[in-house]
Amino acid sequence: MKNHKPKAIYRVTSAVKLFALGLLLFALSLQGCREKKTDSNISSSSSIKQQQYYVQGEQLYIKHCSNCHQKNGTGLGLLYPPLAKSDFVDQNFEAVVCLMRHGIDGELIVNGKSFNKSMPGIPSLTDLEIAEITTYLYNTWDHKRDSIELQEITNILNRCVDESNPNRSSTAK
Amino acid sequence: MNKSLVNGQQSIVRGAASLLIVFSILTSACTKKENPLPIFGEREVEGTDTVYHTIGEFKFVDQDSAAVTNDTFKDKIYVADFFFTSCRTICPIMKTQMLRVYDSIQNEPDVLLLSHSIDPEYDTVGLLHDYAERLGVKSDKWHFVTGSKEDIYKIAQTSYFATAMEDKSEPDGFIHSGAFLLIDKDRRIRGKYDGTKEEDVNRLLADIQRLKKEYVKEN
Repeated sequence: MKNHKPKAIYRVTSAVKLFALGLLLFALSLQGCREKKTDSNISSSSSIKQQQYYVQGEQLYIKHCSNCHQKNGTGLGLLYPPLAKSDFVDQNFEAVVCLMRHGIDGELIVNGKSFNKSMPGIPSLTDLEIAEITTYLYNTWDHKRDSIELQEITNILNRCVDESNPNRSSTAK
Repeated sequence: MNKSLVNGQQSIVRGAASLLIVFSILTSACTKKENPLPIFGEREVEGTDTVYHTIGEFKFVDQDSAAVTNDTFKDKIYVADFFFTSCRTICPIMKTQMLRVYDSIQNEPDVLLLSHSIDPEYDTVGLLHDYAERLGVKSDKWHFVTGSKEDIYKIAQTSYFATAMEDKSEPDGFIHSGAFLLIDKDRRIRGKYDGTKEEDVNRLLADIQRLKKEYVKEN
């Protein structure tokens, strides 16, 4: 009965070990739930500026676009067209840049399906913000366009202002 | 020395046992016992009976121009919400989530969905028809209804306790809650969920099954 003290210590340390083990198991089980999946196709070699555009673009996409087009870009039924797998997005780079600011009306054929709900533009978006959203959109899901320059976007935006009808009706209902 | 080793082993066993108990408590918290779902609203006791808040009488028109009344939901469980087709804020998210509910009740003849337009003057039968069709849903399962604005706002406020009103200062011109309401076969509200949150809608899906079981037991 003389070595009562060491026993107590042993008991304490084993309890601590067990507790630590429990904690570890718990942490591991949490980890399993939080498997993070990234859709970014932007290459690690792209410039820091491009990566900043991408990160900002993702935030702007979530704020302005994802309600309708969904976070994963799948769209919703025949109401809101998909962006993730979309021949329209692939083939109409300039139009896509323009419609972020000016919106679009009338029928759109996307992947062979007809969509016909007017999309309001967001005139308050700056050229830089549109460049950021464009970087995100064209480097996520199935798209891999990589470098997008602000000047290029500004040029496109100037062109679409020229094309747009001055009495274009903004059918924001 | 030998004895202390035995004691040490005992303490490990004890430790492991307590860990097991803690673990089982944790896991049991996830699979809690099924109590009946709450019944929302005020209640009155009349004699020995409790009278609960129920959904009032209504008569609306759905996307097929068919009349939709309380009788449409006789002996049915249903999920109700309030939206409008031109809404770009929370409605698309709500509809994405309601579509999950729709998919999950395909083989449940006693569960229906009811979406009220809070912009009934703009959302005509034709527009609702197009909307439902583009969403890819069938009218016998999911009714999109329009009617008089007063009737819809009144039933939202007084029957479903859901906010729905016009407000020109809002981006889309309306204030409305994104709530999904679970209504039982006796017209009582049994659950309220945030229709913009996936986790909340998961809870709704589970509650529909719980509510169904209540009726199996009673029969």
